[in-house]
Amino acid sequence: MAEKGGKGFSLPKSSLKSPAHLKGKDDSPAKSKNGRKVQFDSEDSLESEINLSSKACGKGDTPFGKGDWGKGGKGDKFANGGKSSMPKGSSTSGQKNEQGHTELPKNAKCLMDCEAADILQGIQEQMVVLSEDPTIKIPIPFDRGLQYAKNGSRYTDPESVRLVLEPLKAHGVSDSEICMIANICPESLDEVFALISSLKGKKNKVTQPLKDALSELTKLKQSTRSSN
Amino acid sequence: MFLKVQLPWNVIIPAESLDTKGLMLQKSIIIRLLDDFSTKKATKDLGYFLAVTTLDHIGEGKVRQHTGDVLFPVLFSCVTFKPLRGEILEGVVHKILKHGVFLRSGPIENIYLSNQKMSDYKYVPGENPIFMNDKLSKIEKDVVVRFSVIGTKYIEVEREFQAVVSLEGDFLGPVS
Repeated sequence: MAEKGGKGFSLPKSSLKSPAHLKGKDDSPAKSKNGRKVQFDSEDSLESEINLSSKACGKGDTPFGKGDWGKGGKGDKFANGGKSSMPKGSSTSGQKNEQGHTELPKNAKCLMDCEAADILQGIQEQMVVLSEDPTIKIPIPFDRGLQYAKNGSRYTDPESVRLVLEPLKAHGVSDSEICMIANICPESLDEVFALISSLKGKKNKVTQPLKDALSELTKLKQSTRSSN
Repeated sequence: MFLKVQLPWNVIIPAESLDTKGLMLQKSIIIRLLDDFSTKKATKDLGYFLAVTTLDHIGEGKVRQHTGDVLFPVLFSCVTFKPLRGEILEGVVHKILKHGVFLRSGPIENIYLSNQKMSDYKYVPGENPIFMNDKLSKIEKDVVVRFSVIGTKYIEVEREFQAVVSLEGDFLGPVS
């Protein structure tokens, strides 16, 4: 059931997806520069060594083939809302990826790492009781997810972080962008704009509120990064 | 990115665990749900299934003909982790090859960073090969690296995600 849910709703880009995908192979010159191309020179040796290949990759679709990875190529650009202010290709980063929100399932809400850490930690604390009952199963990815959330969360109080960042929504910052800001734990405005390329288009609008938010965030930062 | 998702699922309670009532029934629904949830592991749309947070609603059970099992529609909330294109993540290096490095990040086992996506880093061969740039920043085993996700791929058979990532851009690279 869960899987079924996904198809219908990938947002604006879905219409672009298939053309981009089809184009995948014949490198149009426009995109050659900034490397959508992820080339793996010695696929064979890689494969055999790391056994990344899998049956699922199957037919004609080399494990690292361009096919499915980031169908973005061209589509991404369009998806950015055709903002001509976006420095196309000239940016230092080869990543003109737009935000992931186009890949988000509709019934899903983004969580900041610190929020996830809070929730998962809460469950972890129940674990002593839970593990007494062998019939209760804990998903395998749970531990690794918890670990990641704990390492990634630089703020102790997720609620205050939400409160600080939530007003940015009024300035056109999306939910996923807000979470990314919190996860990056940025020290400067430059860092935010360098890492979250989708915000560049809204730069004029968001710079000031973002600046205020960042100074607030700095206060909330943990003095030491939790290392376990 | 971590996601909070509300899902409608069907839970099937085998006829033999039905002879108890009330709370026990609820318990077996929860156990069954957790079991299904863990077995599912991941889906393409939602990513890795980490934990069920709340069981929001249990619908009316329907008896299935032939088997006598009862099917309950349930609504629950859960936390998942899905790698998204364009997202900034951190990962730990676990293998270094001439052509790039492999990292782990959260539940994702196979993340590939090609040497072409970190052009300022050069491969330094040796017993423990590393990648190093002019500023002597090193990418070696067990180092934490911050990267941006270029593409993801879901492997249905293994229920695993793979990702290709990049260090091109400012503020990316090894994290101290």
